[in-house]
Amino acid sequence: MKAFSTLFKTELKLSLRGMDMFIFAICMPIVMIVILGIIFGSKPAFDGAEYTFLEQSFGAVATIAICAGGVMGLPLVVSDYRHKKILKRFKVTPVSPALILAVQVAIYALYSVASLILVYAVATIFFGYQMSGSWLQFLGAYFLVMLSMFSMGLLVGGVAPDIKTASVLASVLYFPMLIFSGATLPYEVMPVALQKVADILPLTQGIKLLKAASLDLPIDSVLLPVIMMIALAVTCIGVSIRFFRWE
Amino acid sequence: METTIKVNQLSKSYATVKAVDNVDISVCRGEVFGLLGANGAGKSTTIECILGTKKQDSGRVSILGMNPRNDRKKLFERVSVQFQEANYQDKITVAELCEVTKSLYKTSLDYEDLLKQFGLSDKFKSQVSELSGGQKQRLFIVLALIPDPEVVFLDELTTGLDAKARRDVWKYLSDLKAKGLTILLTSHFMDEVEALCDKINILKNGKSIFYGTVQEAVATSPYEKFEDAYLWYTDEEEKENESI
Ligand SMILES: Nc1ncnc2c1ncn2[C@@H]1O[C@H](COP(=O)(O)OP(=O)(O)O)[C@@H](O)[C@H]1O
Ligand SMILES: [Mg+2]
Repeated sequence: MKAFSTLFKTELKLSLRGMDMFIFAICMPIVMIVILGIIFGSKPAFDGAEYTFLEQSFGAVATIAICAGGVMGLPLVVSDYRHKKILKRFKVTPVSPALILAVQVAIYALYSVASLILVYAVATIFFGYQMSGSWLQFLGAYFLVMLSMFSMGLLVGGVAPDIKTASVLASVLYFPMLIFSGATLPYEVMPVALQKVADILPLTQGIKLLKAASLDLPIDSVLLPVIMMIALAVTCIGVSIRFFRWE
Repeated sequence: METTIKVNQLSKSYATVKAVDNVDISVCRGEVFGLLGANGAGKSTTIECILGTKKQDSGRVSILGMNPRNDRKKLFERVSVQFQEANYQDKITVAELCEVTKSLYKTSLDYEDLLKQFGLSDKFKSQVSELSGGQKQRLFIVLALIPDPEVVFLDELTTGLDAKARRDVWKYLSDLKAKGLTILLTSHFMDEVEALCDKINILKNGKSIFYGTVQEAVATSPYEKFEDAYLWYTDEEEKENESI
């Protein structure tokens, strides 16, 4: 426990010194919600909708930090620490090198939750946002999205042979999901053909869940996304455990 | 005397090279053991097989009576390691690295004291990456000593240190040795090996070409000085293979 908390404190400081996560996981979602708030204000999502465009987008914007931490931050830090032999160094101490992975996961989870709170605060205070759905369901979906995104990131970081490969793979996952899953560019404004393609992205499914939970929409199509997310997480974790390279 | 590190017939090959070939090592408590040989002789691979971070092809290893692969958690409370390559995070400071290292162990020494002894107290808040080569090396020795270990492995501990800094390190290691610390080190400096090591094993292409004390190494060679004897062994091992 002492090792975990000391490492957590130190790694968090190092991460903040690096600034990237602060920009991509904390600032970017806030900028996004402010832009959506200014442009759409309290306009309805579509003619006759019972909820506003902003309310519809809240769940999506809340995943920007998960996406940044999970498929960009985690793979890079894991492959960097393997390259620097930090993981190997932990093998000759009483604690397992898995501890430093757990610490990194906890740090990115913290960024995500901090971002969720900030986005919610900004949306509520400045743009009159209200969560019409259930917080419990929303948080359940939120942590499910986190689980599947983070396990994808751990897989990429764990099996990529070097930093270069890890960062290419991370970009291939990160940018399409950031742009086409609805996290930034609203899913609803995409042409239908693009929506079909976007549906393949796991984050798109996650965002659908979050929207359903936050808007209190009928739960007809929730099962498929839930199964997809869980299957993805189980697969990624399984493959990571089997093929993780510590050095 | 109690044997703290015991290695029998250790072998390890990589795809194309036999990096370690039937090496034996036996180190008693309080002894300093030197693993010598040119670059690529197999010193680091031997150490990693002993520590269990690499899996040997054959041979048996025990440290403090334990198997490093099965008893990892228990063993590494009492054994510490300085690898040849640096391993620390970008932007981490000296104090943070020491604090993290300390947190991994049940018992530990006061690292501020250790930093002072190694002349690093004014570097407390500096980033590790900004230290000079010698300062970094001294910091890594401090890190290896933080858990108050019974056995330390130091791979090329003084590479990159200036003459004065090397002397300081010897003095400190001699003190630790007097207190019963067992040390296995690799070094390219023969004066250091002479000053510190009770026993040495000289490797060439993974094979042991001399095993014994520094005095024995000199006596069985045609030279008076250990450095000359060492070079003679590493050049002409064929003649001397039988005398091991
Ligand atoms: N990971 C590796 N893969 C393949 N060959 C290696 C690897 N590590 C070391 N070697 C080779 O094994 C031999 C011994 O290397 P090493 O143990 O590092 O020697 P030393 O520490 O004495 O310089 C060298 O020929 C080196 O090139
Ligand atoms: Mg080496």
